[in-house]
Amino acid sequence: MTETKTFVRNKFSEYYQKHSPSIKPPTQIEKREFGFLALKERFMIRHKGFKNVNDLTKFLKTLVPSDVYYSSAYYEKPEEKMEEKSWLGADLIFDIDADHIPTPCAKTHDKWTCNNCGTAGKGVLPEKCPACGEQKFDEKTWPCEVCLESAKVETTKLIDMLTRDFGFHSKEISVSFSGHRGYHLHVETKEVQALDSMARKEIVDYILGIGLETSFHGLGEERGEMKSSVLVGPSLDDSGWRGRIARGTYEFLLTTTPEELENTGLKKKIIDTLTQHKETILESWKEKGPWGVIKGVGVEKWRKIAQRGADIQSAKIDTVVTTDVHRLIRLTNTLHGKTGLKKIEVPIPDIERFDPLKSAIAFKEGTVTILVSDAPEFRLGDQTYGPYKNRQIELPTAAALLLLCKGMAEVKEEK
Amino acid sequence: MAKYPFTNEAAEYVRNLDLKIEDMSNPILTRAEQRIEEALLYAHVNTGSRNNEIEIPSFPVAVMMVASTADTLMKRRYALAEAKRVYNLLNEEEKDMILKIASAFNWRIRLTNNIPPYEFALSFTDYLKNTTRFQAKQWKLVNRIVVDGEVYLTQDHTARLLEEEVRAHIEKKLDTKGKFALPQNVADRLEQLKKTFIKQKGKIQFEEFPKEVNITAFPPCIKNMYDNINSGHHLSHIGRFALTSFLINIGMTPENVINLYRSLSDFNERLTRYQVEHIAGGRGSRTKYIPPRCNTLRTHGVCTSTDQICKGTRHPLAYYRRKLRTIKTKTPTEQTQK
Repeated sequence: MTETKTFVRNKFSEYYQKHSPSIKPPTQIEKREFGFLALKERFMIRHKGFKNVNDLTKFLKTLVPSDVYYSSAYYEKPEEKMEEKSWLGADLIFDIDADHIPTPCAKTHDKWTCNNCGTAGKGVLPEKCPACGEQKFDEKTWPCEVCLESAKVETTKLIDMLTRDFGFHSKEISVSFSGHRGYHLHVETKEVQALDSMARKEIVDYILGIGLETSFHGLGEERGEMKSSVLVGPSLDDSGWRGRIARGTYEFLLTTTPEELENTGLKKKIIDTLTQHKETILESWKEKGPWGVIKGVGVEKWRKIAQRGADIQSAKIDTVVTTDVHRLIRLTNTLHGKTGLKKIEVPIPDIERFDPLKSAIAFKEGTVTILVSDAPEFRLGDQTYGPYKNRQIELPTAAALLLLCKGMAEVKEEK
Repeated sequence: MAKYPFTNEAAEYVRNLDLKIEDMSNPILTRAEQRIEEALLYAHVNTGSRNNEIEIPSFPVAVMMVASTADTLMKRRYALAEAKRVYNLLNEEEKDMILKIASAFNWRIRLTNNIPPYEFALSFTDYLKNTTRFQAKQWKLVNRIVVDGEVYLTQDHTARLLEEEVRAHIEKKLDTKGKFALPQNVADRLEQLKKTFIKQKGKIQFEEFPKEVNITAFPPCIKNMYDNINSGHHLSHIGRFALTSFLINIGMTPENVINLYRSLSDFNERLTRYQVEHIAGGRGSRTKYIPPRCNTLRTHGVCTSTDQICKGTRHPLAYYRRKLRTIKTKTPTEQTQK
């Protein structure tokens, strides 16, 4: 092991020696499968089972893994091969990761290198390498504040849907910061455990608005008086997706630009009409909404606009995590191997004020001297660091560990 | 009870009759036979006799008879027909009766007039349990009003969902194993019904795929991934699964599928072979996997472009089957044109 690896391992070991009492085991620990990423060799150890939390913490202290996962599923025999585990049910889980959200920072802090030709760049990963056309990259992502804030906004939208539409009590939902770039949500109520993958897919589609058709939510033509047809649509205070479509449409029309309307697939003439009547549209929400208020904007145009509204209201969750009924997910209060931060639970009432870059700090004491090759400016706790380029510097343990785990720095040898 | 003979109440009634199939009166057997015959031939069961002593026991007898055939298609068709009968009845029923039948299946449902024209509110988990087989867009959860954990439904919707519940319930009953020693005369009559059905079945069953893989009949999503792989481009996990299971199902050999992945920069023969053979049903659970439906591919972003045939299909394999047919019918005319 290199100096850096040894250092990281020692720190992780120290954490599990000291803080293992804080590790809250998942409910029915004896029915869960556990998985660990070994710090030394970087391979996955799966199909582990534990009778109680003591056995688990003992194991953590000996192995010192870089990452600890457990199954959202409950099994009769969690240590058996997949097809012999005997699935009993699974929690309903959601993952919101900055990777899936278009963020205002445009991910300028992320770097990628083409595996094939070595071409490198910054920002959102391109679909193909601009130089050779290959599609495999080595990615270096960064948990930036803007990204984390966007993830939080999506999390808040998801909580709103889960409580108002799906009727879960906020006490039945546990929310955590993953320790890297996003948030996890767990629902463990009995009634959701039996849901199969197809049913969970329907929930995913609901939350992302996939397959949503505004015609099923009251947007359409109705026969009015005198046989003429009248355009009607949802109102702001309607329930479920109806209200969401209305509120999203309101927000979209309030903040949109002509360019964006063009991207929505609207023609110049319609865009002009909408821009001219912006005031009328805003006023209209006090009554029946803008549908049918503006002459020349027909039902098909409104559908396009309302779809954009729906898109604003949808919560950008990862589709695979929720539909996979055998998923392994990070255990709360364990360390994230890419940051040295810990996964930490966020009480729902505190989510607005929650500061992931403060609360998730696992190492609060001491300093380390490291050689930083290249790091952006970043904040951890109340302190801002960097940017650094080829610099030797003494940093608080948590900040140093973040750069070491990210592969942006090496430990300076002690002499 | 005669209308809804699958309820516990009806089962209890039959149990108390203490009937034995050997000395069962002819009218019960005749009615049971009639139920099956109608189901097999017309996918429908009439409401039938008004005499409860015949009507109620005729249902469990019919179930027993169908169960003993061990013919999956016959079982499915019988369950569907009985369920359709229930749908037609429920649509006309008093709301209280709907609640009663629903509670027999432990549904959490209640009457409501909060959001007209909806009259029922059903817990979303019960809703999902009975709609995942449905394909129409109106049944997608995202297109329903969902408030506080409940989905709002009309009476017709509710009856349709109960039909689904009844269908699954009867299918489960039909799958209970155990040999019934049917009296000779009953067995003979059943044999007769079976023969009639097999004739009918010939018309229903799907044709097999031809041996040759026809790339021009691939749906757009599969074609796109196939081209990507051929030019050495990376595919998502779900993409790989969809492509592999599709190719296996239309008759490509695992060996040829493995070769397809060879051009990838991260190709690992041992791993690829394991995964492809697993999907083909040669390893592990020994189930042969079929590709995900269009709906699922859409959720995971695999479906990127659609064409005319896509509009009428819900599954990549169904697309392939249909496209093959259009190609087949076209080819002779093209040849004559030459």
